[in-house]
Amino acid sequence: MTGAQALSGLRVLDLSRWVAGEYATKLFADFGADVVKVEKPGEGSLTRAWGPFPGDVPDPERSALFLHLNTNKRSVALDLRADADREVLLGLVARADALVESFRPGHLERLGLGPDVLRDLNPRLVITRISAFGQTGPWRDREASGLVLQAAGGPMHATGQADRAPLRKPGLLEHYTVGRSAGQATMGALLRARRTDRGAVLDIAGQEVLLAGADRRASYLLSASYSGITAPRGARSPHRHGATFTGPFRAADGFVMVYVTNQAFWNRFVHLVGADDAAFRERYLDRQTVMDADRDDFMDYVAAWIGKRPKIEVMEAAEAARIPVTAYLSVSEVLAHPHFRERGAFVGAEHPVAGRLEYAGPPWRMDRGYALRSAAPLLDQHGAAVREEALS
Amino acid sequence: MSAPYRPDPDLPLSGIRVIDLTVVWSGPGATALLGDLGAEVIRVEGNDRVSRQVSARTTKESIARTGYHGGTYPDKDPGERPYDRSALFNWHSRNKLAACMNLDTPEGHEAFLELVAVSDVLVENNSNGVLEKLGIGHERLLEANPRLVVARMPPLGMSGPMSDYLGYGPNFNSLVGIAAMDGYEGEEPDSAGENYHMDEAAPAGLAFAVMAKLWDRETTGEGGLIEFAQAETVMAEIGEFVLDHQLNGRDPAVLGNGDPWVVQDVVRVRGEDAWVAWSVRDDRDWAGLLEVPGLAEDPRLPAADADGAVRRAATAGIRAAVADWAASRTADEVVDALVARRVPVTEVMTEPQLLADEHLAARGWWRERSHPSVGTHRYPGHPWRADDFDLAFGRPVPGFGEDNEHVYLTVLGWPRERYDALVERGLITDHQLA
Repeated sequence: MTGAQALSGLRVLDLSRWVAGEYATKLFADFGADVVKVEKPGEGSLTRAWGPFPGDVPDPERSALFLHLNTNKRSVALDLRADADREVLLGLVARADALVESFRPGHLERLGLGPDVLRDLNPRLVITRISAFGQTGPWRDREASGLVLQAAGGPMHATGQADRAPLRKPGLLEHYTVGRSAGQATMGALLRARRTDRGAVLDIAGQEVLLAGADRRASYLLSASYSGITAPRGARSPHRHGATFTGPFRAADGFVMVYVTNQAFWNRFVHLVGADDAAFRERYLDRQTVMDADRDDFMDYVAAWIGKRPKIEVMEAAEAARIPVTAYLSVSEVLAHPHFRERGAFVGAEHPVAGRLEYAGPPWRMDRGYALRSAAPLLDQHGAAVREEALS
Repeated sequence: MSAPYRPDPDLPLSGIRVIDLTVVWSGPGATALLGDLGAEVIRVEGNDRVSRQVSARTTKESIARTGYHGGTYPDKDPGERPYDRSALFNWHSRNKLAACMNLDTPEGHEAFLELVAVSDVLVENNSNGVLEKLGIGHERLLEANPRLVVARMPPLGMSGPMSDYLGYGPNFNSLVGIAAMDGYEGEEPDSAGENYHMDEAAPAGLAFAVMAKLWDRETTGEGGLIEFAQAETVMAEIGEFVLDHQLNGRDPAVLGNGDPWVVQDVVRVRGEDAWVAWSVRDDRDWAGLLEVPGLAEDPRLPAADADGAVRRAATAGIRAAVADWAASRTADEVVDALVARRVPVTEVMTEPQLLADEHLAARGWWRERSHPSVGTHRYPGHPWRADDFDLAFGRPVPGFGEDNEHVYLTVLGWPRERYDALVERGLITDHQLA
């Protein structure tokens, strides 16, 4: 066990079953809060069924997604339709600071556990409701996947290649994004409850979280509002102009991301790739814009220069010259990288079934901050203790 | 000039003053969220350096020379005050105040430390060392005000061999494993182009961190440093792959619009550059898809009793069948047919479509606001909402230096003569020079 953390003493109930809700409550758990996962008996969270699993053999106690998202939490299995279990849940609600749920809109109400019921019991409770399109509006009851969320909310129409289909972001990033905003909203409402003794009901619509995003979606939307434009799809940012030169390039053993965004970077870059070529430097130094054949020649030259060299060598040479160029690292390379090793970016913990693993560690550092106190819980691992607390 | 916006005193961060030294995307996105919650966010901007991603010298003509479309400006016109008019700044500027303070002058430095003494939070996302060069590293700030929460956002942290590397969001995505898994299905990762996910991830995380620190300040009575390494924040979003490598010794595949479990795709429909995204997650979605008229009969679709494994094995045929069925239909026809059968689906929404969207309209998401430098326009709304309080959405933009008098005379309590003297010397202005 570690010492007191910033959020020690806060009690959070996690009724969610998918990534967004579990990531929201992970933020609380990792910074000290007591987070109790309320899981469906026999089955548990949907993230237990997602994997990836060792050897790709499904096992609810070995799902990498569940293990990652539920560090530092406790688990109790409750059937929300059974009276005795509802008593337990209501006992937990009475003592909780926040409750996070991501059922379809209206489901809690149909269970007789809507916000009115919960707040009657605990007026200080913060209730965080995560859904795809919100608790109101004509799309409220539409189904969504992560792909659909990105297409309805994210900048997907503008990502990918111009002559091909819009391309989503990889992994489950959109769900994490929604979850982080749900956590931020919950934290805000808790600060207010601390001062005013009044709880809140929060409506986290995944679509709106993504629409408001800094991955350019909000700025594209405002650009459309200002001038009617549609952000074009293509490898280069629609916002770019002037002496800019950005995007991925193939190196000898992988890829690098080049991000030359101003005149100073541009000139340094021309000096770097044209170090032995006075004619190239003469042609391209101090240019504001390159277009047409000029641009094609430049691209070919740069592609050839990078293509001959290993990705790390390209990155190190560029960084030494103060130009933003970075290597594409695979997850295994990240795990082994001295930078992240030295910083302690991965933190180990023992799990009774999955064994000892290293987890992605602190998302930020501060005194009394992140700690990995325990690995994710087994289904109903803390059932007896939690039931006793709830009914005491 | 419009009056500084004063939000509802009942909001979560009412009474909290935030100094905003942020630039570009992730930092300003974070302070916008603090302003939504009622904090008084004061952007401290020098007139001698670009702080809004826009040069004061930008003109319609200079834009035309570069071939840029100029669509980030109202009516594609940078106008007299381009730094008040760009969507690159104005998407995050709601509720914020702006004061002119040149931190590289002795006068600006002195005023800044006075502001630090009466503030609760400072947020900055400059490169490592920039604040130290200005003599306002976090140790100095915490000496001036031990209750201050200082949030610094160096992408790779303040220690470690790569901590001084330069880069933007796409660079750091590449260093934490995200770029390597981004791309069209089965192709090399460079097929994806650029991805700005780190900028997306940092704001809400930073706002959470600041609030957790403020929560703890109630207990400890002290502020302190938050080292917010943005790359490590975004790394948490691929935590399952970090474990997968240890469990199975592999790296994530490039899956494009596909998925390891869900049968899904993005398909072209009738219309210019029009696309629809759809997913079949489970048996219920599958049953729904099989009820779609004109599609159900396609021989490439497995039978109704096909389970997840069978569907995944047949994914190419299913996707081809849906693509062919959708190709001759409009987005609305495709979406309506699938929504009626509760299959996850949406058109891939362009910005103009979202401006006209009935769901967002019903939820009152867009906010119409006016400012003398920009005119009247609709602004993107908040990322979330509460039944019990309204997040702040006051003035959409602070003109450069618009809140100079408020900050110097009211917040810092300067006598008028001291303020006037710096105005006289051109050190406090309401126009950007850089």
